[in-house]
Amino acid sequence: MTSSPSRADTRRQVFNGLRVVDLSRWVAGEFATKMFADFGADVVKIEKPGAGSHSRHWALVPGERPDPEANPLFLHLNTNKRSIAVDLRSTEGLELVKRLIARADAVVESFRPGHLERLGLDPDELRATNPRLVVTRISPFGQTGPYRDREATGIVLQATGGPMNATGDAHRAPQRKPGLLEQYTIGRTAGEATLAGLYHARRTGRGSTIDVSGQEVLLSSADRRASYLLTAEYSGVNAPRGVRSAHRGAATFTGPFRASDGFVMIYITNQEFWNRLIRLIGAGDEVFLGKFLDRPHLGDDWDEFMDYLKAWFAARPKIQIMTDAEAARIPCTAFLEMDELYAHPHFRERGAFVTAEHPVAGRLDYLGAPWRMRDGFEIRHTAPRLGEHTAEVTAELEMSVVQP
Amino acid sequence: MTDTNLPLDGIRVVDLTVVWSGPGATALLGDLGAEVIRIEGNNRVSRQASARTTNASVANSGWSRNTYPDGKPEPRPYDRTALFNWHARNKLAACMNLETPEGHEAALRLIEISDVLVENNTNGVLEKLGLGHDRLLELNPRLIVARMPPMGMTGPMSNYLGYGPNFNSLVGIAAMDGYEGEPPDSAGENYHMDESAPAGLAFAVLTALWDREVTGRGGLVEFAQAENVMQDIGEFFLDYQMNDRKPAVLGNTDPALLQDAFRTAEDDRWVVVSIRDDRDWAALTGVVGDAGWTALGRTAADRRANSRALRDGIAAWCAPLSSDDVVRRLAAVRVPAAEVMSELRLLADPHLAAREWFKARSHPSVGTYRYPGHPWRADGFDLAFGRPLPGFGEDNEYVYKTLLGYGDEKYDDLVSRRLVTDEQFA
Repeated sequence: MTSSPSRADTRRQVFNGLRVVDLSRWVAGEFATKMFADFGADVVKIEKPGAGSHSRHWALVPGERPDPEANPLFLHLNTNKRSIAVDLRSTEGLELVKRLIARADAVVESFRPGHLERLGLDPDELRATNPRLVVTRISPFGQTGPYRDREATGIVLQATGGPMNATGDAHRAPQRKPGLLEQYTIGRTAGEATLAGLYHARRTGRGSTIDVSGQEVLLSSADRRASYLLTAEYSGVNAPRGVRSAHRGAATFTGPFRASDGFVMIYITNQEFWNRLIRLIGAGDEVFLGKFLDRPHLGDDWDEFMDYLKAWFAARPKIQIMTDAEAARIPCTAFLEMDELYAHPHFRERGAFVTAEHPVAGRLDYLGAPWRMRDGFEIRHTAPRLGEHTAEVTAELEMSVVQP
Repeated sequence: MTDTNLPLDGIRVVDLTVVWSGPGATALLGDLGAEVIRIEGNNRVSRQASARTTNASVANSGWSRNTYPDGKPEPRPYDRTALFNWHARNKLAACMNLETPEGHEAALRLIEISDVLVENNTNGVLEKLGLGHDRLLELNPRLIVARMPPMGMTGPMSNYLGYGPNFNSLVGIAAMDGYEGEPPDSAGENYHMDESAPAGLAFAVLTALWDREVTGRGGLVEFAQAENVMQDIGEFFLDYQMNDRKPAVLGNTDPALLQDAFRTAEDDRWVVVSIRDDRDWAALTGVVGDAGWTALGRTAADRRANSRALRDGIAAWCAPLSSDDVVRRLAAVRVPAAEVMSELRLLADPHLAAREWFKARSHPSVGTYRYPGHPWRADGFDLAFGRPLPGFGEDNEYVYKTLLGYGDEKYDDLVSRRLVTDEQFA
């Protein structure tokens, strides 16, 4: 495989024929369009000449400046896409993008609210020439409302949308989720919204403009926020800070524990799981078994129990604990790190990773199908170099080449 | 109940999902106008609330009793829990005990006239019930069967037990979660796998429906939730290969930003502040005025080198202020800042109110309350938000008589034998 698209010998994919214009520059929008690109759509990224997408400049370590042509974030998010370098503030550039959009099925953008209009790409005007067009607009707080122009970063989104207020320890600062996770949730939801719009357009011939507020995506999400909100509405009580599995009732016992070589996550939700755990860690210890079997919850003996459990886990390696727990049908899994995930026999056997070649980054294993169906996921080519397809796309539009 | 302005109008979904991420996924299909029919046995707890739950039995259960209105599960606890009702909007519910011949027959007839089936049970459960996807696709070749086993349907760990946090840990997310510089067991709870599945599954079902428009055929969607959520750390997976390193536990910090969560003057109310660049820094220090620490952060390199001291300075500035004060002053100069919002603060939030995000809805089992709204909105088509939840068995007559065409005699027989009821026994 190479980064230049050679489609002659590729198989059918479900989104063949679908055209998406990607005006976004960060994770949410780029992940939304990746969902289409990896399943066969022609996704054209509009990149700023010289600089390119913000995801070309992501750093894992403070102060690091990765090669914009080989940034792991950009490589991950932009598989199967084409890149054109266009200055949206130039007349020719804007004209080219308008032509591209005129024949597209969807546009995904994540500018500040109002910026698309200022560029001269008002969604209603775009639909005047392309009535079936779906325009998906991603922003932190939506296109309307008193906070629409507020600035946000990931932690701001997690604070206003996610379950952050309840997460962390009760007497310490609230704790955000790691990495760029909130961006992916917003992007995945924007992808779903875009496809809903496309399906509607296919059925009715009518396009739409979709308003994705990152805050609202997270508020409605299954990482407890929606259930916490409804609970607060039902009973007038906030979710407690720093309490594990607060939303579950008796016999619930969850959390991470130290193994001899790392950590495991235990998630006991009922009496049966509890009893299995007691039998596993207390095997042969009749006093312990007699004391802790069939207990719906612990009381003054909490510390005694925890000391016993922690000592048992601390003496064993994480994979051994996981294997023994699974053999006893107890939900308890190891914390894996990137090297262990990369080499993992389960995901390897399933073909969850796909090897592909990039002209700058070389040969790497990419994450494969997020889900599987007939004529679904395939890496046809790795992420594009900045402006790699400017001439090709311009030729397709029968215009003169716009130099980046 | 047809409305041609709903994208999935006319699409019928058989919903065999349980617990959390699966029902979250079918809620999104219902938003789009699909007729989502939950099939529930009256001898099972499929809504996370047993019929035996009483006001007295939850009285000492801590915070979790608040998941019932005013802490009261009675009557009909299975209609009254927020653990079910957060994802129950628009859905229908029919009582069907799939392990009985009568329930099995009804399920097959319903599946035959449906477009989509979604399930997230343990691998093999459907097969044991005689409802494996091969058989269903033979019966109805246009059917889309979406299955959500956490680790997939094949592979050495495909039958491992676990909940969202278990599989989060297997794909590497838990190992990077925690307080800055501390081990990952210092993290709070993280249900990111559950957060990532619903929109992914809804997208997958829409994709299969898209394909069906072309091919006329349905088929299997295998949605391994661990492989879906793995996408959300793809950059770390590539970085490991390119640079032979693993992500550190960063807590509330970020490699490219000066940021943290800070305590305010109000009781346990926190704010977050992010500084992205020199402009943000100048704006922040313009608001703060002269303080000893403000000289330490003029350049990006300075802010990296002095991150701890600068965050201590911001913390000292926030400490005597209210959260509203911090956010108002920083938002005015376009610095990313926000209160870490509690649920009650969100229910009273002026921005969400102006956007009419919460939806007040009534149900006889529960009363009238405001429900979390849609994840997004569209100008050009509608999203459904009808009944906030289906009472257990509320749609029995519609499903058995109208959809399946059962006559009164056959239906009454099932009712008299308590195979079809509008109450849950388990």
